[in-house]
Amino acid sequence: MHGKRGLLSVVGSVLGGLLLLALSANVSPCYGYFMDKQVDAVVNTWSRFDRFLSTFDPAGRYVRQPIERQVPALTFRGFLRQWSDIQLSGDRRVGNRQKDFRFSQMQNLLELELHYQVSPNIEITNINNFIYDSVYNWQDSAGLFAPRTSETFRAYHNFERIVRELYISYRTHNLDVVLGKQQIAWGKMDGQYIDVINGMDRRESVQLEASDYEWRRLPAWMANVTYFFGANSLNFLWIPNFEQDRNPVPGSPWYSPLASPRDTETKAILDGRQDATGDQFRETKRPSTGDFGDHQYGLRLDVSMEPLTWGLIYYYAWNKNPTSFIVDRDIDAAGDPYLIFQPRFTRLHHLGITADYASALSNMPLVGELPIVLRVEGLWTKDVPFADFDHQDRAREGYLNSGIIRRDTLRAAIAVEFAFPGNTSFIFQPSLLYTFDWRKNLGPGFGGAVGDKWNVLPVIFIGRPFRFTRDRLRVEMTLIPWISGPVREWQGIKSKLVAQYRFSQFITGRLIYTAFSSGDRTDLYGQFNKWDNIGWELSYEF
Amino acid sequence: MNRHFFPLTVLAFLVLSCLTVPSAGAAEQNGSHRQTWKTVAELPEAERSRIDFRVDTPRDTTIPYLPAEAYPFQPPYTAEEMGYRSMEFPHVSRWSHAMADVFGAITSNGFLDEGITLGYSHYLPDEDGVPGQLSMTPGEDYFRMVFFYTYPPENQGLQDLWILRRTDRKETTKLDNFIYSPTLRRVRRQPQPRRDAQFPNNVQTFDDVVGRDAWEFSWRLLGTDVLHETVRFPNTRPTVTLATPEGNFNEIPSAQIKMLGDTYPHYTPDGGVVCYVVEATRKEDWLPHYRMSRLIYWLDQHSFYPLRIEQYDNDNQLRVIEVRNAYLVNPALEERGYAGLFTVYYDLALDLMSYSAHDAHWVKEWSEEDQSTMFEPDFMRRNWLKYPLKSQSLVYSPEKFFLRPRLYPDKFPQDRNVAISVELEQRYRLQEEAGHLVFDSSSPLIEAKVQQ
Repeated sequence: MHGKRGLLSVVGSVLGGLLLLALSANVSPCYGYFMDKQVDAVVNTWSRFDRFLSTFDPAGRYVRQPIERQVPALTFRGFLRQWSDIQLSGDRRVGNRQKDFRFSQMQNLLELELHYQVSPNIEITNINNFIYDSVYNWQDSAGLFAPRTSETFRAYHNFERIVRELYISYRTHNLDVVLGKQQIAWGKMDGQYIDVINGMDRRESVQLEASDYEWRRLPAWMANVTYFFGANSLNFLWIPNFEQDRNPVPGSPWYSPLASPRDTETKAILDGRQDATGDQFRETKRPSTGDFGDHQYGLRLDVSMEPLTWGLIYYYAWNKNPTSFIVDRDIDAAGDPYLIFQPRFTRLHHLGITADYASALSNMPLVGELPIVLRVEGLWTKDVPFADFDHQDRAREGYLNSGIIRRDTLRAAIAVEFAFPGNTSFIFQPSLLYTFDWRKNLGPGFGGAVGDKWNVLPVIFIGRPFRFTRDRLRVEMTLIPWISGPVREWQGIKSKLVAQYRFSQFITGRLIYTAFSSGDRTDLYGQFNKWDNIGWELSYEF
Repeated sequence: MNRHFFPLTVLAFLVLSCLTVPSAGAAEQNGSHRQTWKTVAELPEAERSRIDFRVDTPRDTTIPYLPAEAYPFQPPYTAEEMGYRSMEFPHVSRWSHAMADVFGAITSNGFLDEGITLGYSHYLPDEDGVPGQLSMTPGEDYFRMVFFYTYPPENQGLQDLWILRRTDRKETTKLDNFIYSPTLRRVRRQPQPRRDAQFPNNVQTFDDVVGRDAWEFSWRLLGTDVLHETVRFPNTRPTVTLATPEGNFNEIPSAQIKMLGDTYPHYTPDGGVVCYVVEATRKEDWLPHYRMSRLIYWLDQHSFYPLRIEQYDNDNQLRVIEVRNAYLVNPALEERGYAGLFTVYYDLALDLMSYSAHDAHWVKEWSEEDQSTMFEPDFMRRNWLKYPLKSQSLVYSPEKFFLRPRLYPDKFPQDRNVAISVELEQRYRLQEEAGHLVFDSSSPLIEAKVQQ
């Protein structure tokens, strides 16, 4: 408790400093004409620094511009981002986790993006990411040991992760052909509804934000062809290369405290000091790039009928997470039965819709005209495999079965966005996750509700810049309550408060407070209520 | 000073800075010329002959809010007709074209923010200009603009599509707005910006960019005036670099940039432009809750090009000054073919300035293929910059930013209320003495004043 208060005091000081910074940025040194000399000196110094910072772009001036001058057909850009989160709770055991770390990420990301114009119709694009997360090295923690399972959690160290995108695009008026490694975004809501083409690096688990999808999606090698006719388009994807989701692994900051075994046992198994007990899992069977029958295909139609635009999607895909099928049963040395699972990826059929509509409400009280936009996304997925714990119990008793049942799922959201005065944006986005024919003792499955038959998430977002800082300070708040039924009723609420300050058009800083409140400790958000944190991002773009 | 008083002092000056006092009407705010304006009562007969002083003129039989006389009207002109003629010249020219739009803003302490967007505009009606817009049915789109951001790096690849609609009292949606964000990788429909809301860290509003419809205002002639300067370059920026659509760059002495270009035939012997000064008061039933109560336009008497526009808030305080330099870009349209080159917007309450330079202006008839693809929302996600234009018109340095426009506190005193804070008056004076913006209170100029 004492530690938390101390930390809050630091955070308070930082916020206070940020506010003073925002105020100072608004004070012209010419006020100094009327001021005390000390005040004058401070304001002048800050003002000079602010002016210096506003045009400070060394990488742009000394790297980007010379390269582009030498190679006119090349466009070069990038950014450097420091991205850290510090937890507000002190050392403690939470579930199976030995939570003795304060920093849950200290990521340093360098992105380099190159476009080479071969001809007016042909372009080559390459985007590279270099990540180093010093969270595993810069703090002494027994609970963080993920690099022993996967070095990717600490640093991108191979071609697959560093070279995020590499493709050649050919364009005519009616046709786009893009071949190579790329990421495709089909959704535009807060959360993933029809945005299902690429796998996702979910190392941040419930903290993963829509604004980070760009850097968390896992690009795949594919052919992406779009035919344009009038205001409409038809998009076809052929994806030979399969990229699954990457979830938090044991020893990573966001590994679920509900997952067993305890950290100490996991490390003992990794060290070879202890054998794994209980059920056994064989090596996961993955789709093969060389097998034409294992490839994925997507189709999307977009139609514009102003002021309405709508689209339909179909995606014949692999589930991004493997399902563990029971393949055998055996008895251990103590005479207890255990099951042998074969994890493998299963085929899914996704059907989706998207639509948006714009209008303006006239003569609204206080605000006059009120522009609004309505957006809808929905995805129905057929025959999603769910682990059925009743079936697993029967298999343990000797009635061997796959331990799996299949259900259809639906996830959908409707967002209404209002443009209020003062460049204030307000979005209300009720979202639904639903499992058809749900029953108790089902595990998780793609698209379905979490731990229940249905989940409703009435997401609320409000954001606005502050004119007194000349809009350099922007504050945003997002609330995601997780309502659930018929069993859990309430799984907690995620709150996010962001203060973003533009030091210049090249340098931006963000302070982010994320909290997971209420809910039971076995609920989606409730399990992470000791993971409240304050993060900061400092980004330099060139 | 006691350290405890330090934050209080800062706070006190922040509060004091919000207080305003009437301007003293200092000479530097008026410029060096003698009285150049005449009220309606002072107009000589020769000038009166070109003006129709009637307020209630016959109405169009089908569209009652339009004057009955056929556009572009014949002299004598009513104030309302002048307003309609000035509609020809919104910030973005009313014909199909491409250009590099260079823009930026600067705060009072010199924080500079700049950008470049390549604008491709497709004017849909068969006829260019205001007649084209009037020929459309309310609700129909008449103008499509795509903006492709190329600078700064944080905005590179960002795109905007604006589809402008003809409006009336029933059809009030003026814009369909789509953005493509490289980080979102999707085209997303956005609510239309509030027409009277300034863009973030900018003085411009949406209406400043696309123009205001004359029928939403009541028009009144205040008199005439001769303007000798609009956009003012600092002495730290002796030349500006302007581009041609072909990609050639020309270094132009900034002192040689005239208000309406080199080919304008009606300059006065001392280089002035004779203007009508008209007031547009918003009609409450057309524009309820609008941030501005009225605007005052300085319209060149031959083309009705607005060289200076003042915006007054609902407390009747001068809030924003817009000044422009233009030149004849589209000679086929004769006097309606002028387009802005440099425009400076100045918010007096915030002491915030923004500018826009329309560089490499390229009058362009889009091909059938371009028309059917480039101006549709889906095109943006292709990230295809079909017609790259280049510009080197960025200011780059706070010290080289444009000067604050003249305030002219003495002109038309019965109709204009120019009140600025003491602190702003001081900054303005320092700017005039230095010939460039002054940010630093320890500059020799300010120190000299303190010693006095």
